[in-house]
Amino acid sequence: MKWEKADFRYEQPVEQTRREYSFEAGSTGEFLIKSIANAYWFFISDVDGDNCPFRPSCSTFFIESVAETNIPQGTLMFFDRFTRDMNVVKKHKHYPRVSSGYYYDPPDLYTLNENQIEYIPPSVIVEDE
Amino acid sequence: MKWILIIILIGTSCCFCQSISVDFNSPENIRKFADHLFCEKDYLRANFEYERLLGNDADDTLLFKIGLGYSFIRDYQNGNNNFSRITSSSIWYDDAKLQQLKLYFLLGDYKRAASIYEEEFEIKENKYSIESNKLNNFIYFFGNKTLPLKEEIIFPFNEDEKKVVSSFYDWKSNPPYKSSFTAGILSAVIPGAGKMYLGEWGDGITAFLVTGLFAFLAYDNFEADHDTRAWIFTGLGAFFYAGNIYGSVAAAQIFNARIEFEFNQSLNVYLSNKNYFTPEYEFCK
Repeated sequence: MKWEKADFRYEQPVEQTRREYSFEAGSTGEFLIKSIANAYWFFISDVDGDNCPFRPSCSTFFIESVAETNIPQGTLMFFDRFTRDMNVVKKHKHYPRVSSGYYYDPPDLYTLNENQIEYIPPSVIVEDE
Repeated sequence: MKWILIIILIGTSCCFCQSISVDFNSPENIRKFADHLFCEKDYLRANFEYERLLGNDADDTLLFKIGLGYSFIRDYQNGNNNFSRITSSSIWYDDAKLQQLKLYFLLGDYKRAASIYEEEFEIKENKYSIESNKLNNFIYFFGNKTLPLKEEIIFPFNEDEKKVVSSFYDWKSNPPYKSSFTAGILSAVIPGAGKMYLGEWGDGITAFLVTGLFAFLAYDNFEADHDTRAWIFTGLGAFFYAGNIYGSVAAAQIFNARIEFEFNQSLNVYLSNKNYFTPEYEFCK
């Protein structure tokens, strides 16, 4: 066994494989958000591929933002993130990276709660979740 | 004959190598071994050996070295515990108190650090009163205590240090923060202007173009009497507009957090280069 060919896999798990497509939700609002995200994942994101340069991805950011704040605030956080995603001149010196190379941009930074902001310099590599 | 000689040689050499008995667990040998580990910077194992000696041959130098060892491996709490065991009659007492001040500082417990300074350096006589005063003054830069006058802060430092400490003071008294309110207002007047105010030009221009594009699409569709499409674009444009105002306020908060982080980092680098105004001990010469 020691000298046999090892069966290494060089594939990295992509975000889609970790997605939770269930409709389980604690409230009507959460159910609505989850339905929108599921529809977006199923009809657009899964077909388009793993193109979001951020972690968490924009759709996951939306769900996490709503879970952390509320629907109106989470929506505003999402539109701000989406605008930053559209910025073609992504600043390498602005965001830290996760180990898989994506920009790390968690919703905790944008809740407007200054005590919650944990600044991470761009030189730091954050462990991928 | 040759084989007999070889057998005699091997047999006797085995006997001789066992003839000198060494007590590796004698206090002297444990100490020698611990000193060797300490000088090899293997502080955790060195401390283990020193702690074995504390039972029968307790001396304050051992306690001080154990404290130093823990502080070198950044186990500040254990370091502090050992320094606090050194009594006032010891020659290491002043050094131990200075080390405690440094370790409370490194632990971020500025309240305890300040109380150590008051109790041990301000009231009593201590050979490190100047060094401790310097370190104590840095507490004002890290904590949220009200800053005293600049002259009071820079007083214990030498001329070269005064320039640097003075610049730290200026920064702390007037930090280059950006107003989140201004950022939000600017983005409300011109979409993206708040982000540009924060130096995020790419995000600002993108926000301006996206909001402008949706506004134009909404206007154009209203003009062409495509009301449904026009309202969809109006809604999307409104969300991007509001999201940008929100994002500008959040970006100002992140900007300020970055400024504070960089200030603290430059303080730490400066203090680390100065060894927190504590002496270098030469136990390994």
